[in-house]
Amino acid sequence: MMRTSAIIFVLLVLLAAAPGPTCAQSPGETDCKAVTELLEKQNRQLSAELRQVRREIAALGARMDEPGIREVFAGIGYILGLFGAAALVAARRKG
Amino acid sequence: MHISDGVLPVSVTLGGYAVSAALAAWSARRTTSDQLPKVAVVTSAFFVASLVHIPLGPTSAHLLLPGLAGALLGPVAFIAIGLGLLLQCLLFQFGGLTALGANALMMGLPAIACGWLFQALKGNTHMRHAAAGAAAGATGTAMAAVFLAGFLAAGGEDFFGVAKIAMAAHVPVIVIEGAVSALTIGFLFRVKPELLETGLVTPKKESHD
Repeated sequence: MMRTSAIIFVLLVLLAAAPGPTCAQSPGETDCKAVTELLEKQNRQLSAELRQVRREIAALGARMDEPGIREVFAGIGYILGLFGAAALVAARRKG
Repeated sequence: MHISDGVLPVSVTLGGYAVSAALAAWSARRTTSDQLPKVAVVTSAFFVASLVHIPLGPTSAHLLLPGLAGALLGPVAFIAIGLGLLLQCLLFQFGGLTALGANALMMGLPAIACGWLFQALKGNTHMRHAAAGAAAGATGTAMAAVFLAGFLAAGGEDFFGVAKIAMAAHVPVIVIEGAVSALTIGFLFRVKPELLETGLVTPKKESHD
């Protein structure tokens, strides 16, 4: 009887001393806190970077919506072409 | 200053298209073949001017040039503005294709009015021409803002509220347009005054033989 209770006691002590996944126990506590802090710090850094990337993507999208030099020249070409065609028709009619 | 798709009620959209088609036809009939190069150049200038952004603190506005187009082309300005707006709409996604008729009226009617104004005010001197150009440029933009308010009022907005906002937003544009038009017309008066004669006086009948 004494023997079994002693074994149970030893087991309990061992269990209590074992570094478990929980942070409540004293020996692993500092380690665990440090790791959590590190992770939180990295997380903050990453989300800040992600925000910046998102902002850059939004700015890029806004810039892509703006008409560029190609559209400008395309439009001028259309205008000159249409008026050229009109001039051709007018000249044909006159001649 | 562009009206987007879906802002105006259907009746106003269709009415705008009908009236601007009629005006464009009238305007095209007044165009003589020797005017075509000038019309093409003014159309191109009008088309590109909307990309000239003027930074104004937090926002920016862009040139509109209905007054200058009207002063240079007279009644023919309507077709120049209609074509410029169509291409802006297709290439730059400014305004909507369904609102094109209303947009053409919003810019074209002030242009025609400014053509008359310019012809009435311009005298024979350089200064008178520049002043008339400034008046036409400023009036064109101001009238376009009033037309914008009118069209949006048809869409259920409060006319005076929109008019006030549109005017306030375009005060710097009105000033800059006046200056740009005065400089352009003053320069043209010095180098090529015959460009400032628009087809407002009925052009001489061309011989068709």
